[in-house]
Amino acid sequence: MTYVLQTLVGGLGMGAVYALVAMGFSIVYRTMGLVNFAHADVVMIGAFLAATLFVTMHLPFAVAITLAVLLTAVIGLGMERILRPLESKDLNLMLIGTIGFGIMLQSVAIVVWGSFGIAVPTPIPNVPIDVGGIIVTTYQLFVLAVSGIVMLLLYLFLDRTKLGTAMQSAAMDRSAATAMGVNVATSNAIAFAIGSAIAAVAGALVGPLLYVNPTLGVYVGIKGFAAAILGGFGSIPGAIVGGLIFGLIEAFASGPLSAYSELLTFVVFALAMMVRQTGIFGERTVDRA
Amino acid sequence: MIRIGFGKPLLVALLLLLPVVLDSYTVHVAILIMLFAIVAVGLSLVMGFGGQVNLAQAAFFGTGAYVSALLSTTYGWNPWFSAPVAVLATCGVALAVAVPALRVQSHYLGIVSLGLAVAFSSLLSNSDLTGGASGISKIPPLVFPGLDLSGPRDYYYLVAIALILVVGFALFIANTTLGRRFKAMRDDVLAAAASGIEIRYYRLMAFLLAGLVGGVAGVLYAHNARYVSPDTFGLGVMFLLLAMVIIGGQDSIWGAVVGAVLLIMARNLLTGVQTYQQLVYGGLIVATVVFAPRGLAGAAADLRRRFDLPWLSIPIPWKARALSPGPTRLKVMRPSPAGVALRVDSVSKRFKGLQALDGVSLEASAGEIHGVIGPNGSGKTTLFNVISGIYRPNGGRVFVWGRDVSGERSFRMSRLGVARTFQNLRLFRQLTVLENVMVALDRDPAYAHIHYLIAPWIVVRNERERRARALRLLQDFDLHEVADELAVNLSYGRQRRLEIARALAAEPTILLLDEPAAGLNAAEQEGLKAMIRKIRDAGVTVIVIEHNMNLVMNVCERLTVFGHGKVIAAGTPREVAADPIVIEAYLGQDASESEAAL
Repeated sequence: MTYVLQTLVGGLGMGAVYALVAMGFSIVYRTMGLVNFAHADVVMIGAFLAATLFVTMHLPFAVAITLAVLLTAVIGLGMERILRPLESKDLNLMLIGTIGFGIMLQSVAIVVWGSFGIAVPTPIPNVPIDVGGIIVTTYQLFVLAVSGIVMLLLYLFLDRTKLGTAMQSAAMDRSAATAMGVNVATSNAIAFAIGSAIAAVAGALVGPLLYVNPTLGVYVGIKGFAAAILGGFGSIPGAIVGGLIFGLIEAFASGPLSAYSELLTFVVFALAMMVRQTGIFGERTVDRA
Repeated sequence: MIRIGFGKPLLVALLLLLPVVLDSYTVHVAILIMLFAIVAVGLSLVMGFGGQVNLAQAAFFGTGAYVSALLSTTYGWNPWFSAPVAVLATCGVALAVAVPALRVQSHYLGIVSLGLAVAFSSLLSNSDLTGGASGISKIPPLVFPGLDLSGPRDYYYLVAIALILVVGFALFIANTTLGRRFKAMRDDVLAAAASGIEIRYYRLMAFLLAGLVGGVAGVLYAHNARYVSPDTFGLGVMFLLLAMVIIGGQDSIWGAVVGAVLLIMARNLLTGVQTYQQLVYGGLIVATVVFAPRGLAGAAADLRRRFDLPWLSIPIPWKARALSPGPTRLKVMRPSPAGVALRVDSVSKRFKGLQALDGVSLEASAGEIHGVIGPNGSGKTTLFNVISGIYRPNGGRVFVWGRDVSGERSFRMSRLGVARTFQNLRLFRQLTVLENVMVALDRDPAYAHIHYLIAPWIVVRNERERRARALRLLQDFDLHEVADELAVNLSYGRQRRLEIARALAAEPTILLLDEPAAGLNAAEQEGLKAMIRKIRDAGVTVIVIEHNMNLVMNVCERLTVFGHGKVIAAGTPREVAADPIVIEAYLGQDASESEAAL
């Protein structure tokens, strides 16, 4: 029992990170119906930026994370601008375009930071706390707290502000939204910027948990992506639940079956997809037919 | 026709002569190029033609290589036995990856296949069986009496022959019925099903082909390199393959080959600056999708069109030229039985909280032109979607010529003689006008594709015959002059006409037209009226949804009126026009104004 609870708690930290990554995918999907395959690598770039600013340049963690967020937001804006001509034409091509960006970001990371990567210390003293026989570390709590705040802010932005509502209307009916005075291009650009900014938060938080290297995106990003789909693409609660589920699956599979953990995770995921395509919370669909 | 021309024999000759002039290192590179070309052709078939986002192609390549490597080392099999088993194993893996594709598409499929590819890599580098990160070495070479297959020169010929066979077979598929069905499914899955294509078989088949050629290349790779390791089949290679296919032009077999040549050569030039390789691939992918979405093949086709350069030919498979006009086809429709053509019996359809159809009944007798009218959102198109098998009804039955077809799927309804058009035009956009019609004319069941393997000449003969029939049908619709134009480039009026031509090509006994007059000008509307009568005179029962009262009143013999998902009136146009319920519910309160409109 203690083992189960301990593993459960251990999976929560990564689960929160996956949830953040999933939310970044979701916001872009929710506003423009596009799946940004480069998102995984934006997470990785965000992790590197935060690590460099925090470890190499000795900036306070809060400053490092803020700068990383701003820089990745700019990357997001750039990607959206370049791919904009395809937006109204062919989303499948645009999807392949984002894969292209992902490949580029990965090699940029190798050029700038080398393929070995950086080990990042925790920004707060990482003390284990004993809660009824189960060990929780302070950094895990920190990750959960920061993720929670970001999720809350995003929720408030999308559902309580005029701009957030306008962005969602642009997703539902492009021409109607345009007629109502919503600038669809701006709305898409903002979605990309916010998605990338959240990616940097996830990257910065995951740094001390893993080792920051150029293939980080492949593992963290793809699981975050799968989490978004599992929870129900475009749904914020879905992203959170999906992320936590993946964190837990990973924690439980990493024991005796570690060689097969990825295989197990994705086979479970593929099966789940076939049973319920729209995920746990249903898809916030963008129907462009 | 499958034209051989000068180009292909010349290319083959060049391919076979190359090793004579090249040094052994370059021959080695050439082998690698050819292997990648084979894998890329597989990706082009599944993704470019089939429209299935497959990010597991490198894993197929790897499965072929690893299975043959394992069997011939650890288990000591003769490579000539391990090779075919490895290819079969790869086909099995490909089918397993295809299973999710039956349910999920586009980005979902992308992530599922990418996830499985990552899982495959992680399995290779972690499992003891596959030798972990250090891979499997000392793989035995293929041995053939009289040949030295352990050296690059003789091996080159083995790979070259495989390449010629794969490219030849892929071109044959691409330019005939199977490739056309793949592209139809890619361009519009609903319309493809409504044209009688059983989508799930074609999705499986697309993956199967990708796995087959991927496995062949993998086996050939393993017994040439004699060493396999996880890096060779990882995500980097997947992205390289993706770049080849996108840059070459997704739905072009030659494009995939050219892409492989260019990128492997580029990779060799960039070996000193390895880190920049990926930057180049990524940049090229982005630039291609933004500036030349159809890749080099598309750019070449544009150039050829603009400057009339036949040698830059990306062949358009079925040229419409040089056909003598034959007898028109509309007269020779299959004869319909007499009696009740279509009977809808208290059908209901519910979407989350919305009762779109509520106990709807309707009957159309043989040879009738039956109109379905009603305000927007009253359930007319939903009814068509139920009849044509796109939706399953929640209650009630549908009978076609007395046969209960409730809940049959779309492709089955097409085969049972029910064809339809779509309100918002669902043509196969990247197919030519002729190909659009040929897709629907093609009534062969999926298993008939076995002819590709056992009797290819039957495929060729059927194609020739279908093409002639398609052209005759196009003449009836006055579309023969644009037969080679892509459907997407047609004017709106012609696109509407092509929708009807395509529906008729399936030789229906019942034709469902969904707002055929929408957006047509007065002259085109007159033409449409004549066409609908002509179709009926050829023996087809026509059910038409229409808002245009002029057309409805003049052409339809009976009408069914919808309101809020229910039938509120039925009868001849005159009866319906006089019905006070119709006038109130459908045309509004002011009866005098309504009568003027009718």
